[in-house]
Amino acid sequence: MHTPKRLGAIALLATTAIVLSGCSSAGDSEDSGSAAASCEPATEAVELTFTSWIPGIEEVVDVWNAENPDIQVTVQTGPNGNSGTYQNFFTQLEAGNAPDLGQIEYDALPNFRVQDGLVNIADCAGVADAQEDFVDWTWSQVSFGEEDSVYAIPQDSGPMALFYRSDLFEANNIAVPTTWEEFATAAEQVRAAGGYITNFSQNDVNQFAGLVWQAEGSWFENDGTNWTVDLTGDESTTVADYWQDLIDRDLVSTYPGWTTEWDNAYNTGEVWSWNSAAWGANSIISGAPSTAGNWSVAASPQWEAGGESSGNWGGSSTAVFTGSEHPYEAAQFAMWLNTSDESLTMLNESAQIYPAAVAGLELPSLAAGVDFYGGQAIYDVFSEASGQVSSDFVWGPTMTQTYNDVSDGFKAAVSGTGTLSEALESAQTSTIDALKAQSIPVAE
Amino acid sequence: MTTTAVSGPTETSPVPRRTRRPIAHKKAIAIFVLPFGVLFALFYLIPIGYAVYQSLLVVEREGTFGQATEVFGGLTQYILVFQNGPFWQSVGRVLMFGVVQVPVMLGLALLFALLLDSPLLKGKRFFRLAFFVPYAVPGVIAAIMWGFLYSPNLSPFSLVTENIDFLSAELVLWAIANVVTWVYVGYNMLIIYSALLAIPTEIYEAARLDGAGQLRIAWSVKIPLIIPAIVLTGIFSIIGTLQLLAEPQVFRSFSSAVTSTFTPNLMVYSTSAIPNINLAAAFSVVLALATFVLSFTFLKFTQRKDAK
Repeated sequence: MHTPKRLGAIALLATTAIVLSGCSSAGDSEDSGSAAASCEPATEAVELTFTSWIPGIEEVVDVWNAENPDIQVTVQTGPNGNSGTYQNFFTQLEAGNAPDLGQIEYDALPNFRVQDGLVNIADCAGVADAQEDFVDWTWSQVSFGEEDSVYAIPQDSGPMALFYRSDLFEANNIAVPTTWEEFATAAEQVRAAGGYITNFSQNDVNQFAGLVWQAEGSWFENDGTNWTVDLTGDESTTVADYWQDLIDRDLVSTYPGWTTEWDNAYNTGEVWSWNSAAWGANSIISGAPSTAGNWSVAASPQWEAGGESSGNWGGSSTAVFTGSEHPYEAAQFAMWLNTSDESLTMLNESAQIYPAAVAGLELPSLAAGVDFYGGQAIYDVFSEASGQVSSDFVWGPTMTQTYNDVSDGFKAAVSGTGTLSEALESAQTSTIDALKAQSIPVAE
Repeated sequence: MTTTAVSGPTETSPVPRRTRRPIAHKKAIAIFVLPFGVLFALFYLIPIGYAVYQSLLVVEREGTFGQATEVFGGLTQYILVFQNGPFWQSVGRVLMFGVVQVPVMLGLALLFALLLDSPLLKGKRFFRLAFFVPYAVPGVIAAIMWGFLYSPNLSPFSLVTENIDFLSAELVLWAIANVVTWVYVGYNMLIIYSALLAIPTEIYEAARLDGAGQLRIAWSVKIPLIIPAIVLTGIFSIIGTLQLLAEPQVFRSFSSAVTSTFTPNLMVYSTSAIPNINLAAAFSVVLALATFVLSFTFLKFTQRKDAK
């Protein structure tokens, strides 16, 4: 009878050992707090790991590796952030084996910072001085508007503009809308011609946030003591009611974004326009290949005639994760990746990445016409939009949850059992609950 | 004939051996159990223990980006679980799913197994394989395939799917039930069928001598004898139902009706994505306990019936 008891004891010991090590690893990470970590170069060659989902990132990393034999980067690719990579990051951080560097969209940065996942690289050589080199609002996203704080290097931005089927608009004599009011009128004309002016994607809550951003709204505030959640502000409600009306009148289609159905709707010409980000240029090229040459890009419709406001959808940064042993080298790579001409040119050519670095906006590849868009120099439009993006938009600390909850509500709305405003109201409540559940201070 | 030959020696031999050299046996038992024991502890006991431990913690922090410290919180997370409306809705949803889908699936599996076992059917090998093939298709691939079949625009049967929206809020649960049934009927059929093969043929002879036809044999001889196999598949199915994840996760991109809290496991998945690992652990523990209770209630219920 001794043996089974001993076995049981061993199992128990093993359990407690693992449990304890879980404790201690959580304790270790406490040092790397909000104060900038000291950042010293390593004395010998280092190897870094980097996770990203940009198409063609491997070739860019190959160029770095060829030029920097002492800092070798291994790149791993995955699905885009909210589709799984963020969840992997969080799990890896919990387990203490996150990669050195990862791609994180601006909207997810607060989430990672709250979970103590990011290294403050402000003290790494050249990082703090780089502020001038980036578009203002992107820098305020990675620094959280704080002094001596740099939690990531901005990579690209997603200023929004209107992609539209110029051939179809022209053939049906429909004017390209410059205000949202004109957009609704055009939507009726397009519907009469048998198409949909655009698709309202129930799972692209960050696109919706971009529309609220354009309307000068903001969803979160952080005064240092408390978070404020405001999904139901006037601007959000205006945008929600506007799209609800289009949905109610069957003037927009409601395919879930990034699915084969959705690609198909664009590829077959059922849907005629998409108010999307600069990187969306790549999505249309890959999702609707048979419409090549028929697209153009115009400035987003405005809420007021003659207005000059633009929203932003997505855009990523390169962050150094807690637990990286080589923040100095990691920061050097992140700076090169996001500021060097050769890297930015390659990223733009392979993935239509629109750089966050000011100098990157002058790249020859951005001035050239794009064949798929009938030879139009589409980045001129985005360049203009980029300058019109407000730097006041703040993201919440549990965006994955907020997106999920708003999206669940949007799904109900497009299937006719609720409205977009109700979705925002219920997500407002659930977001506050989610913050409280994690003891994140929130003002009500 | 073969079954009696096998069962012969095992009935008599162990009794004298057990008393002879007990110590050597204990070591041997320990050695034989060790590989299982280690794996069982590593991949079963420890993860469960860790989940229970995680579920008892709460996070504390100061300031908007304050350091998180995990402290013992007792049953705080469990209180949140019991207050969580969407979680219990999702439990109700999978229970409703199970009440309809499990009997349908097992009924079909039993019917197919009986048909395969009946002397009337020709081409048994072909049908056995044909029924089993869907199980060889990975669950995610099956869900994607059915997702396209249901899709209003992309389906090859768009004449049907344009008029009946299988992906609507009313029907999507049953559309998923159909996918699960399609995948698992063959698997359950095989378990039941192998139980049928183990029935000694003398019993059929006796039944036939008493004047029973094929239907009567199936109903009064075969089914009562394979009840244990049906109970087993029943328990597997109950567990599988409560743990639905892959199919609804895939259907999220096909249907507007499948939310991030559609099934309990999806709820766990989205909670851990926040990431709120402590609450996700508490959800998992409650779900595991519910599965345990349901399976054992089912077992007790069916065993009591057996005893009578």
